[in-house]
Amino acid sequence: MKKNFILLYVLLVAAQMLICNYLHLTSYVQLSLLPALILCLPTRVRTSVALLIAFATGMAVDLIAEGAPGINTVALLPVALLRRTVCDFIFGEELVLRGEEFSIRKYGLPKVLFALFLVQALFLLIYLWADGAGTRPFLFNLIRFGASLAAGMLLGIPVTDMLTPDDRK
Amino acid sequence: MRKTGKIVTLLVNAAIFIILEIAALGMLRSDRAQDFFVSKGVHAFMAKVWGGTEAVKHYFSLRQVNEELSAENFALNQELMAWRHEAETAKRDSIARSFTDIGEFHYMPATIVKISRNKQHNYLIIGQGSEDGVVPHSGIITSEGVVGIVDAVSKHYAYAISFMNTDFSLSARLGREGAVGPLVWDGKTSGGAILKEIPLQYRFAPGDTVYTSGYSSIFPADIPIGLTGDSRIVNGATYEINIRLLQDFGAVRYVTLVNNVGRQEIESLEEEAAP
Repeated sequence: MKKNFILLYVLLVAAQMLICNYLHLTSYVQLSLLPALILCLPTRVRTSVALLIAFATGMAVDLIAEGAPGINTVALLPVALLRRTVCDFIFGEELVLRGEEFSIRKYGLPKVLFALFLVQALFLLIYLWADGAGTRPFLFNLIRFGASLAAGMLLGIPVTDMLTPDDRK
Repeated sequence: MRKTGKIVTLLVNAAIFIILEIAALGMLRSDRAQDFFVSKGVHAFMAKVWGGTEAVKHYFSLRQVNEELSAENFALNQELMAWRHEAETAKRDSIARSFTDIGEFHYMPATIVKISRNKQHNYLIIGQGSEDGVVPHSGIITSEGVVGIVDAVSKHYAYAISFMNTDFSLSARLGREGAVGPLVWDGKTSGGAILKEIPLQYRFAPGDTVYTSGYSSIFPADIPIGLTGDSRIVNGATYEINIRLLQDFGAVRYVTLVNNVGRQEIESLEEEAAP
């Protein structure tokens, strides 16, 4: 919370709304900051609370920017559910037990990228399924998944850097 | 004791997850979601906020000129529709048929204040609502094709499903008197669509025009939609034809709403006839 996490979080959700409305790159790329935002919630935030935050965040983006109520929410809830499990798996159980936060400086870029990969992949699998997978060729969905995953991971790095503390291990 | 606590936490988390996921999935899959009063308020908000910024963009692209052209285009379209109607009536008379005309369409100019283009379920918000006479299930057209269908209406705005939506299917005809099949968006580009289920005996060439068939209670017949491109045979039974849409969804702003005043009569007749 030292960095005024709440303010940054709200600003990044607003940024996601702007991306949804104005950053139309191609049908193959779905840019989303939301999985990174949920991953970066402070570890002391319990899973039940994270689920409610994910629901509120997803709904806000769905209703204000996407026009399709539920699509981000459906994809974001599993990320919130598995957030602590991902942190335990990649950064070790001590992180959550000690109530510490992960950061790129503390754990290095590869580990954080791996965490971003897992949450983005989970989010995109559900998002793309909800957004019409099955009505498009498998190859199209595969390319869309790959391109969106790469773009999401790249976007997730500065987001993680902004939301996590600067202290070294 | 600690283990029991963990299990309880796990169960509580799972319960919250399931409840919230069901709620979100319910909204996602519900056809009525757009009629929900919160959605109506949100549409108005979206139209005001995002529409305002879009308007600024349009200001720099000669907005005044566009509006004049739009009014002129609307008047010309009205005239064209009247001529088409007369031509169609004359054609029917000439082949000695005496059908009663129940398919009268009412046209109304409208402005798009918000449009999405980068999703599989795209939508648009129209700057006119129920107070302006917009009703759900009105078609949205331009002189260059079909843009969408109005799904929900609030006082001052209307929420519409775009043609660029995987749930949208339009009855289209190859040429003015050719085969009819469903036309759907290709899901990849804003200028591509696929015309399906065209029987193999029909002949066509790349560049042929595709029109609305008129086999729907929403859109009038003979609106040009696009031009044919490559084709392929599906399951050895029908053609699937790539269509290049005439409508540029990246630039569309001024549209015409079309409402079939006989639609309810047609639908009630269909309901009565249904087994």
